[in-house]
Formats: sequence, structure tokens, C-alpha cells
Amino acid sequence: MTENSIQTVKIKKIINECDGIKTIIFNVKDSDLMQNKKLPKSGQFVMIWVPGIDEIPMSISGYDEKGNWSISVKNVGECTNTLHELKVGAYIGVRGPLGNYFKIPKEKLKNIFLIGGGIGLAPLKFFASELYKENINFTLIEGAKNESELIFVDEFHKFIDKDSNVSFCTDDGSYGLEGFASDIFKNIIKDYSQEQLSNTIVYTCGPEIMMYNVFQICEKYNIELQASLERIMRCGCGLCGLCVLDPLGLLVCKDGPVFSSNELRKIKDFGKNKRDFSGKKIPLNY
Amino acid sequence: MSNQLKILETEISGLKLKSPLILASGILGVSYSSMKRVIDAGAGAVTTKSIGPEPRKGYKNPSIIEIYPGTFMNAVGLGNPGIDNFISEIKKIKELNIPLIVSVFGDTNDSYISIAKKAEQAGADAIELNISCPHAEVASIGIDKDLTYSLVSDIKKKISSPILVKLNPNVTDIGEIALSAEKAGADAVVAINTVAALKIDINTKRPILSHGSGGLSGKAIHPIAVKKVYDLYKILKIPIIGCGGVFDWKDVIEFILAGASAVQIGTALYQGPKIITEINEGLTNFLKENGYKSIKELKGLAHEFKTQEVPDFD
Repeated sequence: MTENSIQTVKIKKIINECDGIKTIIFNVKDSDLMQNKKLPKSGQFVMIWVPGIDEIPMSISGYDEKGNWSISVKNVGECTNTLHELKVGAYIGVRGPLGNYFKIPKEKLKNIFLIGGGIGLAPLKFFASELYKENINFTLIEGAKNESELIFVDEFHKFIDKDSNVSFCTDDGSYGLEGFASDIFKNIIKDYSQEQLSNTIVYTCGPEIMMYNVFQICEKYNIELQASLERIMRCGCGLCGLCVLDPLGLLVCKDGPVFSSNELRKIKDFGKNKRDFSGKKIPLNY
Repeated sequence: MSNQLKILETEISGLKLKSPLILASGILGVSYSSMKRVIDAGAGAVTTKSIGPEPRKGYKNPSIIEIYPGTFMNAVGLGNPGIDNFISEIKKIKELNIPLIVSVFGDTNDSYISIAKKAEQAGADAIELNISCPHAEVASIGIDKDLTYSLVSDIKKKISSPILVKLNPNVTDIGEIALSAEKAGADAVVAINTVAALKIDINTKRPILSHGSGGLSGKAIHPIAVKKVYDLYKILKIPIIGCGGVFDWKDVIEFILAGASAVQIGTALYQGPKIITEINEGLTNFLKENGYKSIKELKGLAHEFKTQEVPDFD
């Protein structure tokens, strides 16, 4: 079996992260998924099948050596609502790990930023754990609508040595700073020297409008960026073409979901358009 | 490079192909930009996703899954943006100067005609009739020789571009339907569409695809497709395009020896468009090493050999 075949596994543990977000842990050790010997990397995703409902792409939010993989799910639609109702022991189908991943810079960069919004923190938490294992320091800027939707606060504190390197912000100011993650980022780097800027790299995942704003700032200051995009998909493996990004024909499932500044610069659909399930091009926030 | 192109050049009903590899319908055929990648990799022509009269979401997921390595099962249910939303994509592909085949489906002969007309006006070089999607209602045409005849002959009266008919393998006698399409004026047939199949998850005990049954594609159906092309070559005068499980250059040669004039490639593209470049290189090397000047010289050669019809006894 391959990473594109559905394997059904039992839900092993469920963690309530906050109102509306749950982390679902399942064990793949005895499933055919382990035959691939492909361990997930941060930024990669799985296709999650909720039997009888739907199958949707979800970022992997972590894994351990015992074969426990996790996804973190916000209840935003029929499929995620049903996922929230499932109990430990229920079967879900998994395909993966799929797609590319965040790449840790080869040279020692001094300023690594992780900028995330809402449920976009799921792959960034996974990435933070990889950086932590490599002894690499980073700065986190986490945004959420309000205090009750901020997630992984304790986990991130574990991965970051200095409290000054963590910023939380909420749209309504109910926790941390009031405002958007992109504004906080802009404030931090605006006094950077040229040398500091060229020593900076940003990883982002969250609402595409937030990532687009972060991208604009990075372009202005000539900062390298890796952004994790999301699109509707059927196959998850480069066949259906629904997740295509014009005009390069890049596929979020196969060439992404993580794209670098070089690609983002040329992707006209970034921050603007997606395709619906029929393949029709529609505005991003439709 | 020019040498390589020449040796692989072929022609189907007036369409000049620089390589016998054609992108199959349903794969990466939603946007001009993903089809451009396939063209840049060396495809001789591209076929769009099957386009219908209006936007259609098709079946829910799971709709495309891998069953064995290189073998997939799908039930997309003809999801497509509808012809009016698709015109702009057709126009952009036309700028790339590669034969463009627009796959169409409809609910009546007239709706097939109206979609084909719009596609032709936007620049389609040929129309492929999808009468064979095994998990959608249009399959009813492709399993009946009279309905096939009626549709093809009606289309031929109104459309001047070549008409390719994609055949359904899930029938008792594919030859009867292919002959009917030929008699009605079809310019070529594509053999074969996916093979009806079902996958059940043993833990949840339910069919995995949201539609239940689906169509099998990829490696597992290649020998089935070769057999259909071989059989059709014996009875048809119009060209045959082989389709089913082309993964490397040897699969292409096999189809051509069986009687195909060109082949379509689809499922294998999950490995990326570069597979088309690799197949073109492999074909060129094979042809040169064996002293052929054109891939056309291989067409139907497997038919020169007598096969045993009566078993030996004792």
C-alpha cells in the first residue's frame, strides 16, 4: 500500500485545545501506513476520511516514535463537525503523509519567525518541535480571533527559551496585543538593520489574507518566506487538478502545500482565488 | 531534439502530434496552467476534463484513491465547471499551439452538440465524446450501440472538428459499439475508459468511495486495455487511441503493436509531468536502437503473428 491508499485507524485520544478546536490522535503502527516507512514532516498533510461524510485535507500537527500521529481540527463544516463528535475508538480513514514540508534553513539564521493565525498554528507547532529538537531558537507570533481561540500556548512556551520571543495577539485584544500578527511582525522588524533582515526567514500558516499580508511585508524588506497554502482537493496526489495555482500550474497537494517567496511571487491566485469542487475559479473568501 | 520529434510524430484524423502521448481526460484538465505543464513536458496533445452544460460538483470525497501501487479508483461523478466557465481556459490553451481535445458530456444529443459547438468556437481542435464514464449517467449511451450511433451521427452533422469516441469497457461486446461509432462517422475511438470496480474497507465494512463503486485506472487495467485495442484493430478502419495504465515507454510500444495510433496517459501523472519527458526519451531510444525511422512503423505489428485458436489435446 502507498501513501495514497486509505487506511482506517481508530482514534486513540482526543484533546480539547479550546472552544471549537480538538486534537485527534490516532496510531498508525499496525496499519499499512507504516509499511511506507514514511514519517511525517511538519507542513505535510493527511487526507482524513470520516466514513459516510467526506474526506478532507488536514495538516499533521505532530507525531511520535510510537506511531501516534495527530491532527488538530476546527469545527467549521459538516466533516469537521462530525470529526468533533467522534469518540475514542471510532474509525477514521487516513492517507498520507502527503505534500512537501517546511525546510529548516541550512545556514544558521539568527532570526526565525513563525507567524500563525487560528488553526494555522497546527503545522507550526509541529515545526516548532522540529526546531526545538535541532536546538534552533525562533520567535513566535500567534494570532487568534479572541482569547478562547488561542491554541498551543503551553506547548510553544516549552519550545522557546525566552518569553520575549513569544507574542500573542487577538483581534479583540482579549489576550496579548490587540491587532493582527502581520502588524506585530512589521513592528518588530521595522528597526532591523540590513544585515539582520538578510539573516531573517519567516514561516507562516493561517488565513490566506494574513499570509498574503506577511508576504507583502517580507517582499518589502526582502525577507525569505515559506507559506503553507490550502485549497480544495479530491486526490491529494497530483491527479484531479482542483488545487491548481495559476499561472504556473503548481499543485498545492504535490508541489505544496508549502511554497517559498520565489514561487509565491509568481502565483497570481495567491491571496485571491481558489477553485470550488466543480473546478470553477472563485474568489478566496467566497 | 528535432530528430526526436520527427521519429515520434504521428497523426490522428488530421491532428498532427509531435509525440503519440496525449493527456487523458479527467487528469489535470481543469486549468490551462496545469495542462501547460503537461505540454511543456512533451505531450503531443491534451484532453480536458469532461465538460458538461453547467457547473457540477460531482460526488463527495473520497473520490480518488490508490488501490495498489500505480492502480487508482475514482468516482468523481463528472464534476466540472460547466462549458461557459471553461471557455477562457480553452482559449488560453489554444495559445500554446498544441492540439487541444475537449472532452464533452451532456444529458441529450442536443446538449452534447451545444457544448461541442461552444468548445469548437473557443478553439478546440477535436471533440472527445464521453459516453462511458462508468459511474455516471452518461454510461447509458456507451453501453448501447443504437444510442451511440444516434449521438455520433447527430454530432457529425453539426460539428466539423474530428470526433473521438471514448469507449466503455464495461460491456459485453466493445466491438459492436465501436463499429456503430465508426458507421456513424466517428473519426477515432479511445479505448478504454475506466473499469467498473469496488473497494470495501474491512474495518468500517463500507465501500470507501462516496459513490460506492468507481472506475479502475492505472497499472491493473493496462493488459485489459491492450486486449481491447488488439481486438478493435481487427475490425475498425478508423484510428484507435490506446488508454489505460501507460506508465513507461514499453507500455506505449505495446499499445502501438496492438494497433493503437496514439495513446493517452493519465493516472501515471501522479508521479509528476516529467514522466512524459522520460517516456518520450525512452521511445526515441528504443526506436533508434532498433532501426525504426518512425513510431508509425510499429503500428499493429503484433497482428502479424498467428495465435493458437484451438488448444492441443493430449
